[in-house]
Amino acid sequence: MRSIFSHIAAVCTLFWPTWVVAQPDVTVFAAASLRDALEEAVAGYEGQVVVSYGGSGQIARQVAQGAPADLIILANEAWVDWLEEREALVAQSRNDLVGNRLVLVGPSGSAPLSEPTKEALFERLDGGRLAIGQVDGVPAGIYGRQWLEAVELWSVFTPHLAQAENVRAALLWVAREEAPLGIVYASDAQAEASVDVLYDIPSNLHDEIVYPMAMVAGRENTQAERFALYLYSPAVQDIFLQQGFMALETEQ
Amino acid sequence: MSLSVSLSHRYGDFHLDLAFEAGPGVTAIFGPSGAGKSTVAQAIAGLLKPDMGRIALNERVLVDERTFVSASKRRVGYVFQDGRLFPHMNVAKNLRFGARFAPSAHDVSEEGKIIELLGLQALQERRPHQLSGGEKQRVALARALLSQPELLLLDEPLSALDEPRKEAILPYLERLRDQVNVPIIYISHSVAEVARLADQLVILKAGQKVADGAVEIVLSDPAALPFVGVRQAGSVLRARVEEHGCDGLSQLSVSGGVLHLPGISAPVGAQLRVRILAQDVLISLEEPHGLSSRNVVPVEISALRRGDGPGVAVQMIAGQDRLLARITARAAEELALRPGLRCFAILKATAVPRASISQGGH
Amino acid sequence: MNLRPEEWDALLLSLKVSVWAVVISLPLALLVAWLLARREFPGKALLSALVHLPLVLPPVVTGYLLLLAFGRNGVFGKVLADWGITLAFHWTGAALAAAIMGFPLVVRAIRLAIEAVDPKLEQAAETLGAGRLHVFALVTLPLILPGILAGVVLGFAKAMGEFGATITFVANIPGQTQTLPSAIYALLQVPGGEAAALRLGILSLVVAIGAVLLSEWLARRVAERIGRK
Repeated sequence: MRSIFSHIAAVCTLFWPTWVVAQPDVTVFAAASLRDALEEAVAGYEGQVVVSYGGSGQIARQVAQGAPADLIILANEAWVDWLEEREALVAQSRNDLVGNRLVLVGPSGSAPLSEPTKEALFERLDGGRLAIGQVDGVPAGIYGRQWLEAVELWSVFTPHLAQAENVRAALLWVAREEAPLGIVYASDAQAEASVDVLYDIPSNLHDEIVYPMAMVAGRENTQAERFALYLYSPAVQDIFLQQGFMALETEQ
Repeated sequence: MSLSVSLSHRYGDFHLDLAFEAGPGVTAIFGPSGAGKSTVAQAIAGLLKPDMGRIALNERVLVDERTFVSASKRRVGYVFQDGRLFPHMNVAKNLRFGARFAPSAHDVSEEGKIIELLGLQALQERRPHQLSGGEKQRVALARALLSQPELLLLDEPLSALDEPRKEAILPYLERLRDQVNVPIIYISHSVAEVARLADQLVILKAGQKVADGAVEIVLSDPAALPFVGVRQAGSVLRARVEEHGCDGLSQLSVSGGVLHLPGISAPVGAQLRVRILAQDVLISLEEPHGLSSRNVVPVEISALRRGDGPGVAVQMIAGQDRLLARITARAAEELALRPGLRCFAILKATAVPRASISQGGH
Repeated sequence: MNLRPEEWDALLLSLKVSVWAVVISLPLALLVAWLLARREFPGKALLSALVHLPLVLPPVVTGYLLLLAFGRNGVFGKVLADWGITLAFHWTGAALAAAIMGFPLVVRAIRLAIEAVDPKLEQAAETLGAGRLHVFALVTLPLILPGILAGVVLGFAKAMGEFGATITFVANIPGQTQTLPSAIYALLQVPGGEAAALRLGILSLVVAIGAVLLSEWLARRVAERIGRK
């Protein structure tokens, strides 16, 4: 019997969570659409930064439940408001990091649309569906809905939407030609070679698309502050621009 | 009605190689476990494809180089050692399972006859798990019969039962043999069962046939004694009940004389087969007087065979029957026993147990 | 519990999708389970691995593979489209996704049941004149009914809860492909959607418990019918 227990003990030590010892300097929870740009930024940073990507709602809930994040960068202001109401964020630490634009995309090779009228869009759909993030949850879906409402196409197109759990899935459907049209971020469209931008959605027809960043209450530390400042540096902002994001007029 | 079998099959180290013919009535395939009996049965039923061989039933080829008739088309009614009743059907449904595949239409009177023959009237609604081992085997027998087989194959049907249950089911088998016109292959490692039921006998040892022929001849053949076993060896006599004495002894006539045996319930005139173990037979050169045994039969010695041990098997002719005695080699020498010698076989009445006497036979 | 019309839609759609998922997967699951339990053939291990794939792959990957295969431009999707069968962004696609995700569970339950059937009983049926199909229908099938039932319940439960592959393959279209799990997920994406999500969660729980109770009751009936208590 003793040998059995010693074997079990030996096996258990194999799985002992050694990562507990190697704590990173900064842990960031960030919206999934930021991945490519943030990875590049982190690669150029001197210091141990771990970034966990997910949906904004998911991140907000995890942080509210005490997830070990020092910094959050979400794609949606509503969830940051929600966290502020719960006093989960360091007061006054909230700031918009970067902006984005919406575009209408089609499978690569599609001709651009000069004017997205109802008729023109229906002709492109040809019985297919308009891919979009979930219109009441996924930020890109919420902005897309605002635009459709502004141009009075919302009620017409509601039955022709294919709502995805995140904007990348909507992009995939267009890339796979399952959906002839999609509403996605300009940054996503730029990252995917199999889609072409058909139309730039005017940014005054929906809420301003911003990625607010904030520090998590109870996790304040200088390392996180240093990394946050680094993200505002011209070098990093340049990376965001190259990836299709939009620079914001900073108030700093 | 005949079954012709010739088989060659290799199974690891085991090599089965034999041929035999089986006619009407009961042909027993006898041998110790591992002799290849069940392999033969499975090959006949179509559950095993032999490496080589030819099996024909009533001129219908079941197996040869080009043919392999599937089990479902052979019309061989197989009764397994373990019954194999369908647990999700009651007895009635088990019995009728084969009828839908049988060649001729369902015959209610025939069905009733078989159900009555095997005493299953009261069991119709029971589930297999509510049956005793003997009842299960009777249902399995009836089920096989009701599929209208051309051959009935009983593969150690009693070996899973204890002695009292065996005793209880044997009369059913005897009735089956005498009343149902289907040839039966009876596979067994019990000499007692073979002696009671079989007409023909094939003895297997290590995959080879070592003896075959009429059961009376093979069982009384001194040469077959090593395969049958010295304690089990003995002859089978055909007898007729002449009268029942008030002292409990009944008088039976055999072709070579008269026997007085106890505990016989068959009516006067009934044909019986009586198995007499070789070790229960004594030999006297002169007609004995002042002997307690009532059973003395004049015989002529037909064969002697010395075994590996101290015993000698002596085969004797009594009328048309044969008797087998096993005595010591020293006694055989002192009495100067030799083929052709006329002498007397002595049999103790109480040495023949009830189980060695059975009714019927051809 | 007062349900809003779109919640009713989600519930009814989930039930429809799950029932169809089980209906389309059952015959194939029976065949595959029988092959795995009773036959030796080259590629058996491969077939077994393939069947179990949805169990190990992340559901989103399964959904993606489904999109590749059964989308409008997929290998099979093109052929099916010619026959007028649409799967992508359609409830039929949700049923297919749910069927594939539940397939390993259904096959496993039935395979175990087939392995538990004594082949000697099937041999006995054969010697009584039953051909292979009759043996299966009259002996094997009744004896594996409890296993089939278990497989059906597992497959149904899996289908009711399937989310990852479904949303990747057929999106989240209210009234058409928005099943209970996608509706719950959508609600959790909005601040303040917790109460409604909880309500739908309880609804799922009720359906799940109902299904299990029903299957227990059926299993007892079947057990009595096949004489095993």
